[in-house]
This record gives sequence, C-alpha cells and structure tokens, in this order.
Amino acid sequence: MAVTRLNYVSLYVTDLDLAKKHYEEVVGLRVTDVTKNQVYFQSSDSQNHHCVIINASDRAGIEHIGFKVSDPSDIKEIKLVSENYGLETSDVSAGEILGIGEGVKIKLPSGHYLNFFYHADVIGYANGMFNPKSIADEVMGVNPLSHLDHLLVTCEDPAKTIKFLQEVLDFNVTETASAPDGSIIAGFTTVGNTMHNIAFAGGPNGGLHHIAFYVYDRADVIRRTDLLKSRNVPTMEFGLTRHGIAGVTTVYFFDPSGNRNEFQCGAYETPGVPNRVELVTWDVDSLMGKGGFYYEAAVEPKFFQTVS
Amino acid sequence: MSLKHSGINRLAYVRYSLDDPKLEKTRIFYKEKLGLMETSSTQSSLQLRCWHEPYAFTTMIESSSSPRLTEIGFQVRDSKDLVDLKLKIESAGVLIRSEEDGVVNGVGESIVFTVPHGPQLRLFYAMKQLGYPTGHVSPDWVTPKSIRGTPAPMFLNHVAVTSDNPQATVDFLTNILDFFISEKIITDDSGKLTSALLFRMSKNVGGQEISIFPGPAGKLHHVAYTKDDASDILLDGQYLRNDGVNIEIMGPTRQLYGNTFSLHFRDDFGVRLELCSGGRMTDPHPEFKPVTWTESQATRALSFYDDENMETNFLSHSL
Repeated sequence: MAVTRLNYVSLYVTDLDLAKKHYEEVVGLRVTDVTKNQVYFQSSDSQNHHCVIINASDRAGIEHIGFKVSDPSDIKEIKLVSENYGLETSDVSAGEILGIGEGVKIKLPSGHYLNFFYHADVIGYANGMFNPKSIADEVMGVNPLSHLDHLLVTCEDPAKTIKFLQEVLDFNVTETASAPDGSIIAGFTTVGNTMHNIAFAGGPNGGLHHIAFYVYDRADVIRRTDLLKSRNVPTMEFGLTRHGIAGVTTVYFFDPSGNRNEFQCGAYETPGVPNRVELVTWDVDSLMGKGGFYYEAAVEPKFFQTVS
Repeated sequence: MSLKHSGINRLAYVRYSLDDPKLEKTRIFYKEKLGLMETSSTQSSLQLRCWHEPYAFTTMIESSSSPRLTEIGFQVRDSKDLVDLKLKIESAGVLIRSEEDGVVNGVGESIVFTVPHGPQLRLFYAMKQLGYPTGHVSPDWVTPKSIRGTPAPMFLNHVAVTSDNPQATVDFLTNILDFFISEKIITDDSGKLTSALLFRMSKNVGGQEISIFPGPAGKLHHVAYTKDDASDILLDGQYLRNDGVNIEIMGPTRQLYGNTFSLHFRDDFGVRLELCSGGRMTDPHPEFKPVTWTESQATRALSFYDDENMETNFLSHSL
C-alpha cells in the first residue's frame, strides 16, 4: 500500500524536565507516557499514542522520525527497497518505541533516520471518541493543538534524499527552491494532501530546522505569540508572520534545548500523488524574500543557519 | 512498485444542474457572490474552480428543467486503479458504464456507477490541468483581486448526500472504494448507522470528502468549500449577507461532528453550501478509529452554538 502519515518526531533534549514543561505548557501537548529517559506527548486532536518523544541527552536535535504505512507488508518492502538503494536499515521490534508496533528504521542520504511501522496504539482524541466532550477545557493555558504537521530538516544535498523519497517510497514533491544553476536548495515532500510532511533544506546532514504544529485559527496563532512573548520563550526575529511559501500564518520559537518549534495555520491542500501537478518553484531571491516571510519580504541568513 | 498511493486519491468535482435556462443567475451567484472562477462554459454548462486549485474545474453546473445532483467525480492514481476498481465494483453487483475520454469536458477515460442507495460517482485517472491561477513560479498565494470581497474559498472540501439506507451506502464506500470513516452517528437504542463522514484524502481541513445523511437516495445535502480559519468565515458571512445571500439560521457555528467551524447558506436556487475550516487531520489507514455519536447528541454535534434552535430543516436534502 503506502506511507500514509507523519506520525511522530523523536527529539534530543538537554534537560528532560524543562523540555517536558515546554511541550506540555507552552506547546499545549498532553503527556501520554513517561520512562526514565523519555517523555511521550500527543496533541488533543490526534488519536495515536504520540506525536513527539523527547529523549534525555547531552545535545539537542533530531533522533528519528516516525511514518505510518497502511499495510503490514510495506515494512518488509521498505527494508528491501532501501537496502537495494544502498541505505542502512535496522529492524525495530514492537514496543521498543512505546505505543508503536514493529517497524524498519532506515538512514536517509540526508543522515536522518525514518522509522516505518504499521501499528500505533489508538489512545483517542483528548475529548474522547464516543459522544465526545465539546471542548478541551483543561489545557495548560493554551488552546488544543490539532496535530504535528511537518518538519524541516537540513542536509548537504537535498535533491539526493528527495529523489529517493519520491521515486522509491512514493512521496509527493510539491514545491522546490532552486539556486541560479538549477540545483535544488530546498524541497517539500508529503505523503498525503497537505503541502509538506517533511521538507529538506541545505545545511549540515542530520540537522533539524524545526517541527511544526497545526493550530486551527490565525487568532490562535496571535494568542500563542502573545503568550510566548509574555512567558519569555525565545521567538524568531519577526515573531508572528506569514510564509509566502504555503501561505501559512506562523510563529517560530525554541524549546529550552534549542530545538525550533513552529505554530502554523493555513489550509493549503495538494493533489496528493507524485508528479501529478507541475511543481511550484521558488528562486533564491523569493526564498530569501516574500517566500520566506511574506509581510517583511526579507529573511536573515541566520533563519536558515540556526539548526539543532 | 507496490508501495504506492493507489485508488481514489482526490475529490475532483461535484456536478449538478439548476433550473436556470441561460445560467445567468447561476453565474452571478457562484462567481460574484461566492467567488469561484469560471474556467469553461457552453450555453448550458458552467465549469468553475477555486483560486487555489490547479485543475480544469471542481464545480460543474448545468442547466436543466429538472435540477438534480448529477454526480461526484473522484480521481484515482492511474489506469490500473480504474481496472481494479471496476472489477471490485462489478463484483459487488453494481452496474458500471465505461466512458471515453472527454465525455465530461476535461476528464479522461472514466467509469460511472451509482452507489447503492446513494449518488452517482465517476472515477477517472486523468483530468485537464490549467495550472494554479497564481502561477507556479514564486507565486503569491493571495486571493486574486477580481474575487476579493467574496468568500473566494480555497478548495472544494466535501460533498454531502442523502441515502435511504446509510449503512448500505457506507458499506459500499468503505468496502469497495476503500473510504475511511472519520465520524458517524448511530441510533441510541439499536446502534443503527444514520450518518457518516468519509475520507480518502489526508488533509488538514474538514475530515471528509463525502458524507452521508439520512434521506432519499442520492440527493444533494450540501457542498462544502475550504477556508483557512474561522475569522475568515465570519467575514465571509458579512460579504454573503451584504450580497443578499440566505444564511441558514444557525449562522456561524462549531460543528462538533467533524470538529469544523462552519457557515451554511443557500444559493439562489436553494442549494445548501458550506464554508468550513478546522476539522481533524485524517489518516487513510485501516486502524484509524472514527468518532461515534448517538442520535440524542446529534443537535449538539451538528450545531454546538445553537443546539436548542437548530433548524430541523437542516437535516433535509437541498437538491
């Protein structure tokens, strides 16, 4: 069948307690499991076991990324086609990652590890699954989050990894940004009909630029930005703005370890399968201008340089 | 490659007819009041799309003295899907008509059939593309000037139809066409299915491409279009009211059924339309679990803000 959903990201953090407080009270996730060295979180309106794992470490950054497949046999196939492509793979046993069934972890040319699995425990939405409660009114000072929407990671050669995902794992490439010589400096890929699940931009291999959470209303992005500023959570240079690329209203901020987070709102929908619709492309000037931040039409180089 | 997003991958269009001989009133409503863009037309047919859509059309309205929902179009991945689905549909005892390229303007080779107790569907793998109205090179994703001051929705979101046997209709959609249920309503006593929201796409807004409500077989309940968020919809309600559009009595409301924020209104012929935002991210996966409502909670589910005043008329089909 197919890869159907970006299910979770697993992050390294340097202080587990501070990070737990951040993802619970600043981002607004619910804690779904705790081990000695890990905390698992899920958003109010996603039904699987978790969308974020934080792992105690001496560094920040991305540990691995979890994608769900729609048929158990996909796991074996992904292992096979990835090995044929020359990528390292390793088996993941059921329960090794809490709430997740058996899977296969592959190392992308970009240096990132993806875990593909069929089963994730269903814990339900925060409001319940049967005659659900109307609103989630016990959250810690922020509104409910819809879901983990996407992440942007960095690597030396985005084109190489994008090609693998598109041609071998049937990811859809929706948009790219190109240098004057035509080489791809950033690319957006999705497994569904959203604009991107995982995007790649130039930078160090294995780097994390940000993970993004979808919120329902632009008014909520404003409210969240107010709270970020009043709680002295570090935000990016423009605070609330709009990406010209994807047309979403957005704010970036950092967890206490330096992993960048994003709240975003925008309905952009893509026609779903690889090579179906002509690519949307951006040149460097647009990427560093209106494509980056639409209102300001300017992007500081440090926006792309700061990764974890 | 068996690792492939196969089967239905996109709600492509809704097609219906209105009693409007030259489609003049239709054109004024859908272009000037709703803010869709005309892509192609003949004397008796009008093709429209939203400003964020790359395909030839997503709404097709024809002139007829006996107006009705004609069909809903879904795009599948490739020609193999069409062959595979044809076999599955026939094995369920449903008659299929195969049609040549171009029978519907802009649509390639297709198969047409009627879902048991439900609407006619057309499946195809090729649809003409016009490209994004904003262009494909460093586009400004901003509502085109010509349709500002209207709702100017971004996408066709879902089509709701009625069925005189919701269980049979939903069984066909899930078992034969591989749809998934995001939410459903059952009776309190016997647990009989009365309504369901179904999806094949994985998208941020709406949580459904086709939804089933109880009523006569294959009638149109409403057509919904996607908006970024609730603030937009409040403003859109002002544009619509200012243009004399009939907004349904609930006004802007939270629909807990699907968890959307929605506004329902009628075109000049009484067809119910919806602007929606919100809704949970869908996941086309066999283990995806639907939300279940019982009928006694249906008014709260359908209109959280106006559950005491909810128009019983809302439950009826509109075309």
